[in-house]
Amino acid sequence: MMAKLGVHDLSVRYGKLTAISDLSFTVAEGERLFISGPNGAGKSSLLGAISGAVRAAHGRIEMDGDILSGLSPEGIARRGLSMVPEGRRIFRGLTVQENLLVGTGLRRDRAAVGDDLETVYQAFPILRERAHANAGALSGGQQQMLAISRALMTNPKLMLVDEPSLGLAPKVVDEVYDHLCALQALRGLTLVIVEQSSARAARVGGRMILMRGGRIVADGDAATFAADDLLSEAYFGDPA
Amino acid sequence: MSLQLVFDALSLGGIYAIAALGIALIFGVMKLVNFAHGQFIACAVFALILPTADAVAVLGLGALPAVLLIPAIIGFGAGLAVLAEALVFRPLRHASPVALMVGSFALGVALQNLLLVLYGGRPKAISLWPDLGQPVQIGAAQVPLLQLIVIGAVALILGALALMLKRSRLGLEMRAAAEDFGMARLLGVRANRVISGAFALSGALAAVVALVLVAQTGVADVRMGGQIMLVAFIATVVGGMGSLPGAVAAGMALGAASALLQAFLPDAARPFRDAFLYALVILVLLFRPQGIFASASAKPRV
Repeated sequence: MMAKLGVHDLSVRYGKLTAISDLSFTVAEGERLFISGPNGAGKSSLLGAISGAVRAAHGRIEMDGDILSGLSPEGIARRGLSMVPEGRRIFRGLTVQENLLVGTGLRRDRAAVGDDLETVYQAFPILRERAHANAGALSGGQQQMLAISRALMTNPKLMLVDEPSLGLAPKVVDEVYDHLCALQALRGLTLVIVEQSSARAARVGGRMILMRGGRIVADGDAATFAADDLLSEAYFGDPA
Repeated sequence: MSLQLVFDALSLGGIYAIAALGIALIFGVMKLVNFAHGQFIACAVFALILPTADAVAVLGLGALPAVLLIPAIIGFGAGLAVLAEALVFRPLRHASPVALMVGSFALGVALQNLLLVLYGGRPKAISLWPDLGQPVQIGAAQVPLLQLIVIGAVALILGALALMLKRSRLGLEMRAAAEDFGMARLLGVRANRVISGAFALSGALAAVVALVLVAQTGVADVRMGGQIMLVAFIATVVGGMGSLPGAVAAGMALGAASALLQAFLPDAARPFRDAFLYALVILVLLFRPQGIFASASAKPRV
């Protein structure tokens, strides 16, 4: 079967600094993939390159067999990829509902937008309650829910989520992951999640790629990683 | 007398506000201060007349009845701005903000010289809608009809623009892009559409300013965009770069202050009205260097 997402020999450089070198992996349809690793491993650069926000030095990125490399971020979004970025980046001066609607302009099924909005509001009643308030007034956890909902409103097939637990209390992180997993099951989404905590990834469950220095050092079931030496190797060991 | 002053302040402030909005709209989405905006205004003025080096202008487009002329000249302004974006600013999209700004200066000089070649350097008399100079009696005040029309038009334009930004798809995308362009694109918002939209609106507003200037002064001058561009730019800075309400408020305030100074300065000081006006601007900026309505989008993007 064709992979949902294929990354082949991807390299990303910022000037002379190499963030990612010759990285390859594929993600199957409906899979949940965690990308973990220490700071500076290249996790966010990887998501940036897939979403089109960061230009790759070389390599090829494919979604459903179509080549994404060279497309604009909006062109990639229009093919069914959506992003929950690091730091959430909600539009603070827009209302909650306006935030949710920004990404619906690309949809051909405009009629379904109302139903999707209703689904979001049922999943997150607080967003309905605050629908016409400025999004900047939401708490951190609520903003994360909004960022996830906003990404869902584009009706994506593949969703990239960058550090959803950043800056949130552990209990709120539990909630965020509960919602993400429920949404994935409901929609048949393919999820790629950058998660610094491999323990968290193991608890949620799924496949995990461990990155270090812009390369993949391990790839397997997240649950088996928790006890593995590879993990401490990746975080504390000598550079490969 | 005092009622008269209110009308003077509103009409002058309204024009400054419309000009400032033209700059703030583009700054909002692109972080570009478009110094060619004054030349957009000048071009829209000269679009009214046929190319000639004579001192008396022959109306071309300007001879049309107002119902056709106004949409035509607004369309011309919007088209010119969109064309300028496509030819000059789109190739510079990924350049530094400084390069963009210098590009806008270059565009302004190029447009001005194009006008010089086509129309010559001498100011020309244009008689556009001479009937609008008639005074209308309102209470104790004698107000030129034109002033009332300008105030009404400004109110209408501000209302329509606010509605468009708040209610329309393009308006939503422009506001999202003004806050975080990269994020908006990740959500499928087309950069070209939003930027072209901002330029079209800005050019349309430049055309409105051009019509009012011509109707008020009866003159077409190649240099006429420069003065109002300066005031409009100052209004966007005082209002808070990128803040549309700020640009309107500061434009209105500058117009009102200008009208008040004109009325109340002693005769000997009146020639120095602008010096007093800009001293006020300096004072405001000393106390609020970020502008009256500082917006989040004025922060540099990475």
